[in-house]
Amino acid sequence: MEEVDKILIHSLRQAGTPVPPEAQSVRDFSPELVVEAAVRCLRAIRPALGAPLSPLLPPGISARFRLASDLAAACQELGFGGDVGYQTFLYSSEHDTRRLLLFLVEKLPRDESERGAEPPGKSGVLLRAIGTRIREQLGIPWVPPACRTPQLQRLQVNFGGGPDPPQLWGANSQLGGLFLGEGGPVGLTPPPPAIWGDIYGSVLGIPMGLTPPFLPPPPQEYVGRKRLRARLRALEPLRQVCPPRPQGPPPGPLDSTWLQEAFGTGGAGGALPKGSRFTRTQHLTHEQVGWGGCWGAGGCFGRAGGGAGGLERGVCRVFWGALMVGTRPPPQVEAEVRQGRLALGAREDALRLKARAVELLPDAQNNMAKLQLVVEASSRRIVSLVGQWERHRGPLLAEYRHLRALRDSAQLESSRRLSEIRALHERSRSAADEARRKEELYKQLVAELEALPRDISRAVYTQRILEIVGNIRKQKEEISKILVDTRALQKEINSLVGKLERTFSVTDELLFKDAKRDEVVRKAYKYLAALHENCAQLIQTIEDTGTIQREIRDLEEQIEGETSAKPPASLDRILSDCRALREENALLAAQARHT
Amino acid sequence: MAEPEAQLLLAVGLIEKDTNGDALWVWCYPSVTAELRSLLLRKCCLTDENKLLHTFVFGQYKRSWFYITTVEVQDSPALKKVTHFSIVLMAKDFNPEKYAAFTRILCRIYLKHGSPVKMMESYIAVLTKGICQSEENGSFLSKDFDARKAYLAGSIKDIVSQFGMETVILYTALMLKKRIVVYHPRIEAIQEFTRTLPALVWHRQDWSILHSYVHLNEEEVEALKACTGYIAGFTDSEVNSRPDLYDVYVNLADSEITISPVVKEAMTMGKLHKEIGQLIVQSAEDPDKSDSQVIKDISLKTKEILATLASLTEVSDGNEKPTLNSEALKQKRFPPATENFLFHLAAAEQMLKI
Repeated sequence: MEEVDKILIHSLRQAGTPVPPEAQSVRDFSPELVVEAAVRCLRAIRPALGAPLSPLLPPGISARFRLASDLAAACQELGFGGDVGYQTFLYSSEHDTRRLLLFLVEKLPRDESERGAEPPGKSGVLLRAIGTRIREQLGIPWVPPACRTPQLQRLQVNFGGGPDPPQLWGANSQLGGLFLGEGGPVGLTPPPPAIWGDIYGSVLGIPMGLTPPFLPPPPQEYVGRKRLRARLRALEPLRQVCPPRPQGPPPGPLDSTWLQEAFGTGGAGGALPKGSRFTRTQHLTHEQVGWGGCWGAGGCFGRAGGGAGGLERGVCRVFWGALMVGTRPPPQVEAEVRQGRLALGAREDALRLKARAVELLPDAQNNMAKLQLVVEASSRRIVSLVGQWERHRGPLLAEYRHLRALRDSAQLESSRRLSEIRALHERSRSAADEARRKEELYKQLVAELEALPRDISRAVYTQRILEIVGNIRKQKEEISKILVDTRALQKEINSLVGKLERTFSVTDELLFKDAKRDEVVRKAYKYLAALHENCAQLIQTIEDTGTIQREIRDLEEQIEGETSAKPPASLDRILSDCRALREENALLAAQARHT
Repeated sequence: MAEPEAQLLLAVGLIEKDTNGDALWVWCYPSVTAELRSLLLRKCCLTDENKLLHTFVFGQYKRSWFYITTVEVQDSPALKKVTHFSIVLMAKDFNPEKYAAFTRILCRIYLKHGSPVKMMESYIAVLTKGICQSEENGSFLSKDFDARKAYLAGSIKDIVSQFGMETVILYTALMLKKRIVVYHPRIEAIQEFTRTLPALVWHRQDWSILHSYVHLNEEEVEALKACTGYIAGFTDSEVNSRPDLYDVYVNLADSEITISPVVKEAMTMGKLHKEIGQLIVQSAEDPDKSDSQVIKDISLKTKEILATLASLTEVSDGNEKPTLNSEALKQKRFPPATENFLFHLAAAEQMLKI
């Protein structure tokens, strides 16, 4: 019980009821505390029900009464099965209070997280993203706008105005503004062009000198610079692979015409695939032969079927001229040499064949017949050789297959055995575990048995139980006997009553017939009637006595029940409250009469 | 017959699958290198885990053609432990019908006798005389199977009906000697399709670019990469993620043609291609025209284009072949796509100035 109370008090504290620390069990709860606990639980379970109820018990008796009955109605609406009324809160017993509070605590919502309407996921993610961005921005030290790189430009807000498409342009407007000494919002007056050129040049890293004023707006020039940069970028891979050319071969045809062709026809995008394929082929061969990369390029463009055609050939020719002579012959050329040699061999064979044919040509018919015979003979020989080989091969193959089949079946067998062994292992292990567990359990139980108090032996209890059972059986028998007797009695009573009535009516008739003539008979008739009435009264009284005795017995039982359930203290409280209520009623009635 | 049979047939081999589940190379004549043996084991469907049986597959590897016929053995008294077997024929020429018929005959002989000796007799007969007796009282004559018939056996009309105007992409790719990869989960479909593709460039009559059955195996891919332009058929869908292997990717199952970005610039199409495409489609849709007539129409158009190109070439000193005169090309003021195409065609036909 104490544990139950502790859990109950803990749950009530969690629900928001300020349970004082000296209240260790439900017995110590005052009615105010009970009411407050119940209201707070109700509010947690169903806010609609609990909202109109106040957790504080008002001082007035009638208000208290009202609150308690409302609370009881709310509890019943929740589904509390037991008997609940205002008395449960104001004059409650420990048992009832505990039942009610347990019911309410069980009904409390379990999952705190259910109360959140939507998952914290989306908004949480957004918040976290915002937090990281702000943290990021806070992490970078503030840099004056003049010194910001485009990246910082994004992170640190440009107070000059909105995002300008070329960010350099934005940076320059800042720069210009600062140079002119305007700290605040800039972009109002364009600074002198000369400064622009320098600023632009310094930002781009391209040495420029004073450029003519370009108010035609800078973006055009910007695009031009971008194009130049793209060209330079496109030439980079080539520059990387091939060493810087000595000034011997004319630079003209390579640079201008090639660039023009490359970039002029297809636009900036067109050059890159060619360049990239060139570099791709470079990469292909570059790994194998370091220095011979360009040689390989020279060789492999032919392999690529002249795919990029004259352009690459032109380039390669220049590179060939540029590279030093005297490196070792690369594998590509070796492969070509080998192929050439093979072709040569094939041609030599064909030549030999044709020479022989020419030799045999003069005597064509005979030679043809001879050749046919030779061919037939050799084919027969081949067939016989095949037959001989077959005689060896057949049995060998059959044996191989047979052995494979054996091996497979053996494997099957062994795998089966293995699995069986494993299963057996498992079983033995589990049996050992089981045995160990049972051992422990046995030891534990023996220890517990030792620990049990020896004074009261189990036999006494069993004896008592058996006695009680016997008693109950005897009592049942007696009850049934009594019932049987009762029924017999009742039957007798009924039959006697019937006999009585019949006898009375017969006598009545008889006497009534003679009562008109004889005085004595009349008197006898009167006595008969009186007798009948008195007897009837007697019987009635006896019956009443029996009923009253039964009622007495019932009331005595009720009294016993009531006195055992309610301690006499609450009775005093009820009486005092009843008195106070009556006084209040009197007061109110007097007030009503006055007004 | 251009060449005697003896120079065309290279080897014959036998692969068996037995009751143990092993696929073994059991016999060959005269000899097959280990590399080829492992390749052919891969090609014949007996090593596959899935039980699909492909009756006849063919392909090319390093300039020799292989033809494989597979047969399932049922109730043969001569072959007790064998469940399936394949007969492999290596030859130098492309002639699927001839070699299919031949391998079928050999299969039947082997099925009946269970020994390669009888097979050998027929093989030698065909090798030396070009004729052999088949089991059903007929005979197999090599000269019945002409090479030209093999080239024309595919149906160009089916290709056009499947791809419509996109056929011109395939035409362009073939003209420019690009690398075409065809994918379909069934090898028979790939074979049907790819064997007809070289007919689009009939003036070359070059079927050596056809590799109709390739696996994504290192050696095969290396051998493929050694060729400049090819038509390669794959049943493995992984080939889509190998852009280094193709310039044009044909997904035959979904009827989609994708051009690799690397060659997009070379294969830009314009008015000329539209003309060609329309010609192809019209010609193929004509119910009165047979396949060979369609091919003839296409080749006429090709001749026109080559004639145009030839008119722009000149024989310069030192080269035997005529080379393209770029100024003349520019002077003609063709639309840019046509000019681009002619330029690349000249490159493919090796008519560019070195």
